[in-house]
Amino acid sequence: MLGALLVLLGTTACLAQDLCTDETSEGFKVRLSIKTALGQQAYVWNESEMFLFRATLAFAMRQHFKNNEYNVSSILVCNETQRVSFHFVVLDPSDSTQLIQKTAVEAAVRKSRHRINSAFLLSDGTLEFLQIPPTLATPYSPATPPWLIAFGVVIGAVCAGIIVMLVSSLLGPKKGKGEDDDEEEGGGVGRNGIACDALDGACNGGFSDDDRLTQM
Amino acid sequence: MEKDARPNWENPMQFVLACVSYAVGLGNVWRFPYLCQMHGGGGFLIPYLIMLVLEGVPLFYMELAIGQKMRLGSIGAWSAISPYLGGIGLASVLTSLYLCLYYNILNAWSFWYLFNSFQSVLPWAECPLNANMTGPDEECERATPTQYFFYRQTLNISSSIDETGGMHLGQVLCLLLAWVFTFLFTLRGVKSTGKVVYFTATFPYVVLFIYLIRGLTLHGSANGIKFMFTPKMEQLADPRTWVNAATQIFYSLGLGFGSLIAFASYNEYNNNFERQAIVVSMINSGTSIFACIVTFAIYGFKATVNYESCLERTRMLLLNTFDMAEELITQDNVGGWLETLNSTHPEQFAGLSGVLEECDLEAELGNAVEGAGLAFIVYSEGIKNMPLPQLWSVLYFFMLLTIGMGSMLGNVTAIITPLRDFKVVSRNISIEALSALVCVFCLLMGLSFTTRQGNYWFTMFNDYAAGFSLFFIVLVEVVVVSYVYGITRFEKDVEDMLGRKPSWLWKVLLVAVSPALLLCLFIFYIVGYIQGGTPTYKAWDKDLGRSVVMEYPVYGQVFIGLLLVSTISCIPLSALYTYCRRKARPATPEPSQIALREPDAWVVPPSEHCSQE
Repeated sequence: MLGALLVLLGTTACLAQDLCTDETSEGFKVRLSIKTALGQQAYVWNESEMFLFRATLAFAMRQHFKNNEYNVSSILVCNETQRVSFHFVVLDPSDSTQLIQKTAVEAAVRKSRHRINSAFLLSDGTLEFLQIPPTLATPYSPATPPWLIAFGVVIGAVCAGIIVMLVSSLLGPKKGKGEDDDEEEGGGVGRNGIACDALDGACNGGFSDDDRLTQM
Repeated sequence: MEKDARPNWENPMQFVLACVSYAVGLGNVWRFPYLCQMHGGGGFLIPYLIMLVLEGVPLFYMELAIGQKMRLGSIGAWSAISPYLGGIGLASVLTSLYLCLYYNILNAWSFWYLFNSFQSVLPWAECPLNANMTGPDEECERATPTQYFFYRQTLNISSSIDETGGMHLGQVLCLLLAWVFTFLFTLRGVKSTGKVVYFTATFPYVVLFIYLIRGLTLHGSANGIKFMFTPKMEQLADPRTWVNAATQIFYSLGLGFGSLIAFASYNEYNNNFERQAIVVSMINSGTSIFACIVTFAIYGFKATVNYESCLERTRMLLLNTFDMAEELITQDNVGGWLETLNSTHPEQFAGLSGVLEECDLEAELGNAVEGAGLAFIVYSEGIKNMPLPQLWSVLYFFMLLTIGMGSMLGNVTAIITPLRDFKVVSRNISIEALSALVCVFCLLMGLSFTTRQGNYWFTMFNDYAAGFSLFFIVLVEVVVVSYVYGITRFEKDVEDMLGRKPSWLWKVLLVAVSPALLLCLFIFYIVGYIQGGTPTYKAWDKDLGRSVVMEYPVYGQVFIGLLLVSTISCIPLSALYTYCRRKARPATPEPSQIALREPDAWVVPPSEHCSQE
């Protein structure tokens, strides 16, 4: 009895394993690049890691279909290589001769992709499901482009500077007008080449700073 | 009756810094490294330094002497030398005007890149996603993210000069900002310019030094430096090397624009311009070489990064195709494995031939780029790979900005100074209003460069507006000074200013060597233009993701012709005009043909100069 049961199980397993081949249309090829991703902290790929993978995938199927019948045994793996790449197919839990459709598996994987990646400390690029394109994250685009903010700051500062300059030049002549008058009278230096006379103080006519008009 | 004496630099240091700031321009950063790379690395320094001595320094000396002696801008100075030759000054002003129109676009780009550096991820580091979020944008995929950012997001360039489009808002705003700054810096003439140049002349060196340290400590920079310093002496036999060296010295010093004459006209009469001419020329060339070292360190880094990512891609391709364990192939033995796999699995390997890339470090290093391409595309590519790229980006583009602004100061001064020499202008328009007028005019005209096809017009101006005509202008200048004005009179003027005669070396260089060199260059370029056929430009093809060469349409060629002819013809036309005026009014005395302030050339300076500081 026990022998017959074992034979039956064995046959089922063999049959099931036949479902996982290279050319199956319902399966996916998976490729892991552990050493590239983790370098020194890379773990060795072994049976336990494979078990984790199958368990994670079963988890993904459960999440997507909300069907708790998926198990590690529903995930079949074959064609393992040194690269760490293999094929997998998903058995229908209710009927172990049927495979789950490719599109359904893809949907399940995409939904839980992040969890699958995290389980292996990898990313979309290093844990590749060939034929399932990674869902790209929406890039963060702020409401105001950042360059406009920087531009606004600079032109605001420049305008503030111009206003300050204008105000000071407008206020300036009022304060400085007295000084200017004094300069014009007291100096007469170089303003017109004519020597200053009838003015307060001594003026040095030889100290002309406009040489153009001094002729020989 | 003079209302106010000619303004002066506060001290000679301001003048030297102004000349340095003007001469050290974007060409030092992006043209010289390119030439160095094209013409055999370290070996290029030989023709470069020879041309500096034979051509650069004497012509620089001549322009400073003229400006300091005549104390007028280019139009007035040349009219004072001979009333028929005011056209030289006019040609200089016109060339400066063309330069002002397009040069500030470079500053606008620098502002744009600077403002875009304040983001956590630099926008030229990654490709943006396409419309349906499934992958990167197609144009970006075909090109590189840095090229995409420059051609699409900065310029939004069209596919040819014929295809028109609207203006780019970011460019317009940045151009406006650039002109606002230019206006503020040249507002009060030398009073404001003199203060600004303390910063614009010195800050670039600070940044270059920081970049030198950063560059030399980058992984792979040694490859670039080694590449630069291995001289390829056979390049010296190529005449183009010598022509390019002469041309580079010529443009780098900014001869012929009238800026040097304008700056020197604000000098004290006895300023020692001879020593300053040598100092500024040396600083300019030294900066070129310094910038070259920095550029090649960055080049080496960029080339190494690209080479290593190429190796990595090849490695992954081999691993994935042949399903081998990851640790078997490393970046070092990729080459070995390629050969092994080719012999063991030839059919599978043949299937890869379409996808497999050639990884060649020499080819990456030899990828010479010049002009805006180098500064904005190649450098930003190098920067994005550095740790803390935002800091390096801000520093770099701020440096480009100070360099560019420093050169703009000279360009605008070259226009304003001769205009202010006309009594009718200086009496009725204040210097602030004149600066504002020039800046607003150039801004409005410059807006056309911010359109989608604007970059092609920019390239046209860059190649033709201030190129070949400068040779003509400076050739006429040196011939006039040596032969028409007379080298003996020039010698006397210099003796008057400096207190000693110029040595025979200066005289030989000015009378014989420089004119001969310039004449050779001039003929070489004319022959080149005639033989070159239709002028072409590089258009960005967004489907191919790279630039393609296209011919200018007819109206483009006509415009190029206009650009060249308009500046060159100023000289003969102005001479003709003066001749006709003289014939019409024979009674008027010579000096007042053009109503200028009396030039000092006709007045023997008094001995009071000795009593001044």
